[in-house]
Amino acid sequence: MNFIRRSSFYKHFGVYVFLIVLSAFVLFPMLIALSQSFMTNQEVNRWPPKIVPTEPTLDSYDTVLTQQDLRLDLWLRNSLFAATGYTVAVMVLCAPAAYAFARLRFPGNRILFALLLATIMVPGQVTLIPNFLLMRDLDWLDTFNALIFPGAANVFGVFLLRQFFMQIPKELEEAAVLDGASYFGRFRHVILPLSANALTALGIFVFLFHYNDLFWPIIVTSSLETRTLPVGLSILNQSYAGQYRPMILAGATLSTIPILIVYIIFQRRIIKGVTMTGMAGR
Amino acid sequence: MLGINARLARPKWLALLPSPSLRTREAIAAYLFLTPFLIFFSIFFLRAVVKAVDFSFYDWRLLRRTIPYIGFDNYRELLDDEIWWIALRNTVQFAAMTVAGTTIVALAAAIAVTQPIRGQGFFRVLLYMPSLFSVGAVGLIWVWLLSTQFGVINYGLSFFGIHPINWLGDPDLVLPALSLTTIWWGFGFPMLIFIAGLQGIPDHLFEAAKIDGANGWQIFSHITVPLLRPTILFVTVTGVIAQFQAFGQPYIITNGGPGRASYTVIYYLYQMAWVAFRMGYGAAVAVTIAIIIAAITAVQFVLIGRRVEY
Amino acid sequence: MFKRLALVSLLLVTLVATMVLSFSAPTIQAQGDATPAPTATPIVAEIGSGGGIHISFWNGLTGSDGVTLNEMLAKFAQDNPDISVTVEMIIWNTLYQKLQTAFVAGEEPDVFLLHASEIPQFGSFGVLRDLGDQYTSGGGWLADDDISATTMSGMMYDDTIYGIPLDNHGRGLWINTDMFDAAGISTDPATAPTTFEGWVELFQKLTLDGNGNNALSPEFDAENVVQWGYTVGEWPNVNFIAALYQHGGTFLSEDGKEVTINSEAGIAALQQEIDLVYKYHVSPPSAGFDTWQGFGAGTVAVLPTGTWYRNQSLLQTDINSTAWPNWQFGPQKATWFGAHTFMIPVDLKGEKLDAVLKMIQFVSENQVDWAASGQVPARLSAQEALDPATYPSNILLGQTFSEYGVQDPRSTVTQEMLTYLDAELSAALNGMKDAKTALDDAAERMQEALDRG
Repeated sequence: MNFIRRSSFYKHFGVYVFLIVLSAFVLFPMLIALSQSFMTNQEVNRWPPKIVPTEPTLDSYDTVLTQQDLRLDLWLRNSLFAATGYTVAVMVLCAPAAYAFARLRFPGNRILFALLLATIMVPGQVTLIPNFLLMRDLDWLDTFNALIFPGAANVFGVFLLRQFFMQIPKELEEAAVLDGASYFGRFRHVILPLSANALTALGIFVFLFHYNDLFWPIIVTSSLETRTLPVGLSILNQSYAGQYRPMILAGATLSTIPILIVYIIFQRRIIKGVTMTGMAGR
Repeated sequence: MLGINARLARPKWLALLPSPSLRTREAIAAYLFLTPFLIFFSIFFLRAVVKAVDFSFYDWRLLRRTIPYIGFDNYRELLDDEIWWIALRNTVQFAAMTVAGTTIVALAAAIAVTQPIRGQGFFRVLLYMPSLFSVGAVGLIWVWLLSTQFGVINYGLSFFGIHPINWLGDPDLVLPALSLTTIWWGFGFPMLIFIAGLQGIPDHLFEAAKIDGANGWQIFSHITVPLLRPTILFVTVTGVIAQFQAFGQPYIITNGGPGRASYTVIYYLYQMAWVAFRMGYGAAVAVTIAIIIAAITAVQFVLIGRRVEY
Repeated sequence: MFKRLALVSLLLVTLVATMVLSFSAPTIQAQGDATPAPTATPIVAEIGSGGGIHISFWNGLTGSDGVTLNEMLAKFAQDNPDISVTVEMIIWNTLYQKLQTAFVAGEEPDVFLLHASEIPQFGSFGVLRDLGDQYTSGGGWLADDDISATTMSGMMYDDTIYGIPLDNHGRGLWINTDMFDAAGISTDPATAPTTFEGWVELFQKLTLDGNGNNALSPEFDAENVVQWGYTVGEWPNVNFIAALYQHGGTFLSEDGKEVTINSEAGIAALQQEIDLVYKYHVSPPSAGFDTWQGFGAGTVAVLPTGTWYRNQSLLQTDINSTAWPNWQFGPQKATWFGAHTFMIPVDLKGEKLDAVLKMIQFVSENQVDWAASGQVPARLSAQEALDPATYPSNILLGQTFSEYGVQDPRSTVTQEMLTYLDAELSAALNGMKDAKTALDDAAERMQEALDRG
């Protein structure tokens, strides 16, 4: 970044002002929440509101992490497991389908793709009850299967990857064809290795979506073995938010840290992945 | 995977059959690539949609033993229901405000963080952070910020001599308040899309414009926006689809109130299906919502997307 | 490129694995006794040695009352080492939905706690076990006359007894005694007003603006209130039901087929609540005001809440407070109460059924301990055995429930009706509709629900 000259600060003064104002808007609610997680139940209810705890305490974190009945550890494990499983399932199902749509000629390609795209307009509530009953009939209630498979055929995933695959120069594949590669070989050895950024971007998006999903897990899970983090937190949250606010915020903070780390690691890759898909219109 | 590998490992006995043409083999391979996806899609989506449409013709209560067929009665009742129309109007308002706000904030943020400035990466991470929260956490944080008596927002305003504003209790303010919450939560994803779109615009276009003496606004309105048209279409279409399904915000922050001022269509559906347990009616509501979203999307494509090809 | 992908995946896997390992505790430990929690609420508790018969128990006691129940169950598990209990606590609304889906899926718990007002609905579905054999009239252990007649009537649907009551819980006021002292008002509940005018005056004396003027003062600035005398917010439908009966109205007609909330009595009752906000300025509008937080922050003098507030007031706030019986705004006395009630699925059989019944009997016979939750034990003998020094609020409010308590309407669509009522009360209390329009609109919807059955 050494092309940024000293004068650029003045040149971009307006940009900095805008970014600082926007950052304040973004940061303030988070910082308040973080700050309150270090307060006592009494202090958080005071008026005028305390912005900074007078005597910061880790009690809430201690309670959340150690109290035997609050199983943040198990919820987190379940959430990470289910979201990872879901992400893998989405990739395995969507990448080959996207390849077919992007690169192979077959009768009905365009129509089938258009129909698939149209289905993203159907709200999730439509499939909720039929799928709940299906889970019952498959005996999948209260299992990870119910958290992983019903949404795995993700149309958004096919869309994103198709747009990306279409950007990959055809010549690369043609070289493989001359080497006698099968369709699967071309997909596996030419397309996939070039798609790390797009797969990462998709992976993060679906992982996040699943990690934060609430309604479906509430309905299909009922035991500690499968309960996910948002379900656990929402039950705490709805119960007596005013009562145990610091503790719930401590739980929310802890639950956000893992995905924050994942996001920071992959941040550049996500933007590259999105850039190279036609999703952004290029 | 037999068909896909046919070119390399074609069993000898197949040579006895007439060799399929390249086109046929490509099509077979394509269908095999699609099969796993389509199997899951059929089971968990198509089948469920067909079932839901079917349910919508019955007076089905969750635990009742008899489930009478009632034809279009659920739909008739829905169209007659004043609360449905209130919920629909709220949803349209909420979605319009939220999508417009999100798009503007996201585009402005994207332009800012694609300038050659220090801390680019830092701002990109920071501005996306709210999107990492679950709706539960967002609700918990904002219900407290917006509280009339104890909210930090009103506390801040009090230093400017402004009396407490009843954000969540005033029917005219509650949707903007929820919208603000949602923009805070959700502008990160469209920002990423816009960053990607901006990086796709060739630099020489901007440089040429600068040489021609164009100012910032002219560049923005004559180069950035027209070239980002497909991106804007994508962001607004997915935004409308998402915001039309807003549920967590009214559920957690306002309970649909005051009165029914923040009832959204999905909140209405939730009340009917999961509080009154009228599953058949709920299915009819869900199907109707899908039709409305489809109609709005079609209009968006006509208005913004004429020249965009996917 | 692919190597980098592999590297990144490896990093990701390592990260996830580290987090999982660092957090993961040994599998759920069998606990001899559940440690009482100082502040937090357990979501799932494993109680008992883990061996022998295992029963699952769902309830909505997500507040401090859940801790009390778990302590009782821990004692039960000590006495019965062959039985272990998994307790799942889910907030009432969600529990109510989850139970219905669980019944559809055949995944219901072995025993659950609901409100008595939900007995007609679940009873009409045919999913509840007839518990008449547990009462002495049916040859069981629970004396019928140890349960008050009003509570008992709540256990029945179609002449069958479907529940065993744990408690009576209901409306009472918590008052900030320091504010009362400062305003020169006695904190003795015997001195409480008995008319609406009397209560308004009390609230006015306790409502202060930024300049220290109370709401009776001509200089009072209604735009700048710093201390509210009252708050209409918590559970408006509970306030409304109490006031409705105080004015001589009813929720449903005698035969239960007609919604009668929009009677003269209903309109008068709601108008008073509206006036407290908009005419007398002694309460904030209901939306956007967290009543518990308001009381805890020392900005509300009189908090209409209930028996369940006992532990909150003792443990979670630094406010000096005491319980008063519900207000009286109409000519008659009335207060709202409900009953947490044990219910068993109709399909439960064999040794699990025996274990569940044993557990219910244990909890029922030790109901005095349940008073620590703030609620009033359902058994009259347990109510009499309460120590007045430890449980003043339980005793005080318990008496009002048995003397003049009213419950939620008994109908198979009670929850649905209350949803409609809530939305309209919210509209009225936030200045969007007048009392008559709101109640007429609510009654119309509720009547439709009732007619659908």
